[in-house]
Amino acid sequence: MSDTKTGSTAKVDPKLLEILVCPLTKGPLSYDAAAQELISERAGLAYPIRDGIPIMLVDEARTLDSDNAHPAKLAGH
Amino acid sequence: MHIDTVRAAYRRYAGVYDLVFGKSFEAGRQQTLDRINGRKGLRILEVGVGTGLSLPDYNPDHTIVGIDASEEMLNLARERVAKKGIRNVESLVEMDAQKMTFEDQSFDVVVAMYVMTVVEDPQAVMNELKRVCKPGGDIYIVNHFSAEKAGLRLKFERMIANFAELLGWHADMPMSPLLSNAGIEIVTIAKLPPFGMFTMVHCRNSDTAAESLLQAV
Repeated sequence: MSDTKTGSTAKVDPKLLEILVCPLTKGPLSYDAAAQELISERAGLAYPIRDGIPIMLVDEARTLDSDNAHPAKLAGH
Repeated sequence: MHIDTVRAAYRRYAGVYDLVFGKSFEAGRQQTLDRINGRKGLRILEVGVGTGLSLPDYNPDHTIVGIDASEEMLNLARERVAKKGIRNVESLVEMDAQKMTFEDQSFDVVVAMYVMTVVEDPQAVMNELKRVCKPGGDIYIVNHFSAEKAGLRLKFERMIANFAELLGWHADMPMSPLLSNAGIEIVTIAKLPPFGMFTMVHCRNSDTAAESLLQAV
């Protein structure tokens, strides 16, 4: 997941973030530029941004770790 | 037609879409954009932006957000924007037009061209067009309605019907129930070439209920 390709055009317009909401909760989203994801804390979901295009579909979203907005921490406990 | 089926159809036909439909859809796009381009500095949502056929034609003064259910179509739109150096396309987003993920009253103008016939629930789309449009804002719908009598138009329809079916068009969608929505004021209804097969409807979001609620606060 850390190898997410970041196209040169991949950048979310801040004005879009002002009006975009989570499809599930209708709550706000935060932008993770490094992972190219839009995070809905309330839904526990991360919506992918592929080549600069946010995919606002629950089916396409990644489930966040139960107590952490960020993934990884794969090793051990 | 379910959104996944629609998405699958457009995935297959994205590459030839412009070739088959580009010309037929030109009049509707042109009529709609002519009306919008007379004004300045609008924030516009294009629902079902597809391959971005209309994106080069907006007044550069406007800001455009485009949504579509098909990632393949949106990728072609993104390529068009890059290749033509279009600077006023703020964002392209994949989402379901029947349940948009925008805040209420986000746009001055909402455009839905050749969308209503392809969605599972046109009324849901209509409600969403109204919801994301500012009060007093404009909604433009271009749509296909089936021919009532035989003639050139019917012939033409049959010609493209096979292809249209693959893309899940409802050929027999009635217009009036959609527009009887409270708080929608019809400004213009225009028949478009070829053969009046397409209709452009310009509505105004005259949500007086919402306005009076606001005034009461």
